[in-house]
Amino acid sequence: MSGKQITVANQPRLSLRRVAGIAADGIRYRLFRCAVTVAVISVAVAFLTNTLSEGLVKRSVSAESRRRLARLHLVHNWMSRLSDPGTIESVMADAASASPGSPSYREIAALGGFAESEMAAFRKESALATGYLRFFSELDYDRRRRFVHTANGTAIFKRLSTPEGMERFIRASGEIRSVRFVSSVDDLRAFLARWPDLGKQARAVLAGRSRAIRAIAGKMGERTVLQALSSADADFGETVRKAGFVLEPEIAAALTGQASRLLVAQRLEKSAELTPVRQLVARKLNVTPMEVTSRLLWRFLRSAANARALIGLMKEGGLSITGLEPESVAALAKTRKEQQALARAERLTSDVGKGLLGVGERMGWLLSVSMLVCAVGIANAMLISVTERFREIATLKCLGALDGFIMILFVMESCVLGAAGGVLGALLGSLIGVGRALALFSFWIPGGLPYGDLFAGMGLAVISGVILAAVAAIYPSFKAARLAPMEAMRVD
Amino acid sequence: MTESTSVTAGARGPESAQPPGGGKSRVIIRTIAMKKSYVMKEVVTEALRGVDVEILTGEFISVMGPSGSGKSTFFNMIGALDSPSEGRVFIDEVDVAQLTAEELAYLRCNKIGYIFQTYNLIHYMTALENVTTPMAFGGVTPDEARERGMELLDLVGLKDRWHHRPIEMSGGQQQRVAIARSMANRPSVLLCDEPTANLDLATGQEILDILEKTNNEKNVTIICATHDHRMMNICDRLMWIRDGRIERIARRDEVHIELGGIGDEAG
Repeated sequence: MSGKQITVANQPRLSLRRVAGIAADGIRYRLFRCAVTVAVISVAVAFLTNTLSEGLVKRSVSAESRRRLARLHLVHNWMSRLSDPGTIESVMADAASASPGSPSYREIAALGGFAESEMAAFRKESALATGYLRFFSELDYDRRRRFVHTANGTAIFKRLSTPEGMERFIRASGEIRSVRFVSSVDDLRAFLARWPDLGKQARAVLAGRSRAIRAIAGKMGERTVLQALSSADADFGETVRKAGFVLEPEIAAALTGQASRLLVAQRLEKSAELTPVRQLVARKLNVTPMEVTSRLLWRFLRSAANARALIGLMKEGGLSITGLEPESVAALAKTRKEQQALARAERLTSDVGKGLLGVGERMGWLLSVSMLVCAVGIANAMLISVTERFREIATLKCLGALDGFIMILFVMESCVLGAAGGVLGALLGSLIGVGRALALFSFWIPGGLPYGDLFAGMGLAVISGVILAAVAAIYPSFKAARLAPMEAMRVD
Repeated sequence: MTESTSVTAGARGPESAQPPGGGKSRVIIRTIAMKKSYVMKEVVTEALRGVDVEILTGEFISVMGPSGSGKSTFFNMIGALDSPSEGRVFIDEVDVAQLTAEELAYLRCNKIGYIFQTYNLIHYMTALENVTTPMAFGGVTPDEARERGMELLDLVGLKDRWHHRPIEMSGGQQQRVAIARSMANRPSVLLCDEPTANLDLATGQEILDILEKTNNEKNVTIICATHDHRMMNICDRLMWIRDGRIERIARRDEVHIELGGIGDEAG
């Protein structure tokens, strides 16, 4: 009847597969409890992805609508370029924003008669001058008066070059602590010494522009600038190039299209001056003839049949109808609708570009708050799910489980729950977020949805869900695993 | 109870210990001046104030004492679940304090079986899985574990309920599963913490029968904390703990002579 000999050895470590099996069993048997944890995690992740995806869609819409609007404004830009040489300030601002080799860079160099190195220096100095001028123009009236009295634009440089002006400026910078000048006073003095030369150069560019505009005006004859631009891809384009402007062929083609569309639009809007036209539109849209605006006219023209009727009335009224086809007029009316939507989209996304991830200040703030909520929610869910199982952990330790086994078991379980909750939450959140964004932009997203960004955001949310869940489980399971088995049992 | 002292309090236990079945037994658990104190909010509670005891292989020993006497603490110490503040615990001449975490886990897994008052089954596992969990920790292959698990469930009379979860079983059945689990890796020592306290008389008797059978047939040392007086009928020795000290240790035959007196006192 002798007892068995006790020999003590090291407890074998379980293979990772075995631990995973036990973890999977645990999740399967405790499905309901795990489902609750997954739900909590998915709500947290959904909150994050909701904000994130909405922000991402807004960011993409903002970039795309700005790009498209800039292209639409091409003809207006050129109309003003060909009729107004601008000011010294605008020349310097143009030079400052022109990247080397770009059309406007080459144009400024040509109009000012600069060599390559001269142009580079001019651009650098212009950037400096523009920066100084922006500082003064952004000041409120009172401060600005204390700095430079009533001087405006480049007159500021002239004023600062006088001893009294400089003295006043230095005194003001000493007194006004809330604003900091963009550079040191020494740098400003050095710039002011160079200013006469820079001003001379800018005036040369300005003179070059005026010369070019005069040359073009001579060739335009009876035509308006807009009419001339409608043949920008033909003879007029050559005229513009010869005068010294840089007009690239693809820009010329785009200009031609836009200019002719604008001409058609002007003719159609002019037709609204005819009483029969007003009456027709008013009848169709159920308003009085007095209330017919160009916006209503364009809405009326969206159908080709309406356009045909209007063209007929124009002919009767003695207006030219050459080149007016009902289908193309209706198409034009539709693009105008698109332009309105673009303008609206741009308005709605006006603050995009600032804040976190460039999704706008308000969205960025919401995003960081939702990240915090997500982290706290997941940490709480995991903390509860581990602490409520202290007794189970203690029992497992009595049965010979190693600390490491318990840690791995719980962290693994958390990873699975985190991944499940993350995927669910990411799907749910992006669905809601994208839906909200779609509703905001009336289901018309310029450039389509940013699928790449959205998927990256979802992936990020899932990964952060997994990592947060794992990290949140590490601490309580470490604590539970390190407790002596009996102490863990005492907790309840 | 003190008028019937045959072994003085203060634990002269080791000298009085007699081998139950001939002279072949060894000392399997030995404690030397074992003390344990807990610090809670700067108040020191002394749960054990110096316990010296020797327990032999194959012995069935009942530990009695009022609640708060340090009984549970004593259990945790000799079961390698907790470490004493002072003094030493030897399990088969191995100083528990010297063991690493891995060796302690091995000891708990293979050499000591635990039975709790509240059964402590893992509630999401079936009866069989509960029984085979310690085997999995011990590195037994799943097939062998299943086979041995079924044998053990058969032993406690629950073979046909192997796939039931704890929640689907009565308290007595759960405790029987717990006994099967405690014997999963053929331990040398079974530690039972009030195994019958949550059960009615009849089910408690079943548990006691199983424990007695285990002790007799497998020669497993059983140390059993209890308030159940029926335990006296099957144990070899009784031990009373009071205020963190061993009040008395006596062989069953010695106690039986005085049982009437104790019975009178109790009732």
